Amino acid sequence: MRREVRIPVRRNTLVLGVTLFLLAAFAWAGWANWEYRKQQAEKAAAAGVHAMLEKGESADALYTSSPLLGKPAPDFKLEDLAGKKVSLADYKGKALLINFWATWCGPCKLETPWIVDLRNQYAAKGFEVLGIDSEGDDLKASDAEGFARQKTAVQRFVSKEKMPYPVLLNGDSIANRYGGLDAMPTSFWVDRTGKVVASQMGITSKDDMEEKIKKALE
Amino acid sequence: MRKMLVVAAVGAAVGLVAMAQEPLWQEGKPAGAKVQAVQYLYPEQVTIAAGKPTAVQLHFRIAPGLHINSHEPKDKFLIPTTFSVPAGAGVTLRSAVYPEGHDFALPADPRTRLNVFTGEFAIEAKLTAAPGDHLVQAKLRYQACDEAQCMPPKTITVPIDVLGK
Repeated sequence: MRREVRIPVRRNTLVLGVTLFLLAAFAWAGWANWEYRKQQAEKAAAAGVHAMLEKGESADALYTSSPLLGKPAPDFKLEDLAGKKVSLADYKGKALLINFWATWCGPCKLETPWIVDLRNQYAAKGFEVLGIDSEGDDLKASDAEGFARQKTAVQRFVSKEKMPYPVLLNGDSIANRYGGLDAMPTSFWVDRTGKVVASQMGITSKDDMEEKIKKALE
Repeated sequence: MRKMLVVAAVGAAVGLVAMAQEPLWQEGKPAGAKVQAVQYLYPEQVTIAAGKPTAVQLHFRIAPGLHINSHEPKDKFLIPTTFSVPAGAGVTLRSAVYPEGHDFALPADPRTRLNVFTGEFAIEAKLTAAPGDHLVQAKLRYQACDEAQCMPPKTITVPIDVLGK
């Protein structure tokens, strides 16, 4: 007759060991998953920045794409520097460049002389530019002094750059209609029927701007 | 005993897996979304002698590929990077020493030199604190660009716990 020998201590040790192993395995799996998701989030964030910065093939599409392409340019009514209300509808039948810019924006300052030249070159063919100042500043609505300072800065800029076309103020109030205006300069080319035929975020070249003007004039 | 261990193991595993499903920070923003150009790094807390002006190094990081104007940009129309401490915080900013910017030119205009910060930089703020613990919401105002476009000026909060002893 064989006698059964009970070894409770060793069995409990085994169960404890397996449990600890399982815990460690799950902890490792959890950590690996967490780390993977962290890396994915960092990659996505980096892609967001790089898409704004690198002018690669796919980034170009980001710079020139807009949900407004092929659609009527959203109407607006804004004041010019003299306080006169100007609306987009006032320019019905003209090919337009709607150029959102800001006084603090280096690339805007750089492209302004190109725009002035192109406007003067193509004005006789029915082309006009609407420069819309969009400071995007975090001024409070009640900050009259801040807005007055802004207007003075715009006047100084317009005078210095000898901008011959209408310059409108407070473009920020129509930013949502034009895709948010996350960065300056942002431009839209509108044909004679009022349809957006090209858009551009950021500076490119005078030649590129001219090509888009020709497209708007077609 | 064995059952308890198994239940504990399963419970812990489920908890760990659930925790791993979502990172503790937000997912990356889609391309084209607004980018946080400048991030405050450290220190979160400083201890300084109460009533005595003390220099504190504040460290910041600029997102890759972006630059911000230095404190003394070369052109008047550009917005300088400026650090400030709001009044009534129990802490006064006596002065701030900014690092020297470096030259930068836009590819579309290689002749014009801008003076900018990129990467990491530190501002030396000379602070005077009243005795006590002050949760200061200091501010950094900057305006960021890349090589082709600029983002609107922004003011971020720089939270510092200042212990005046």
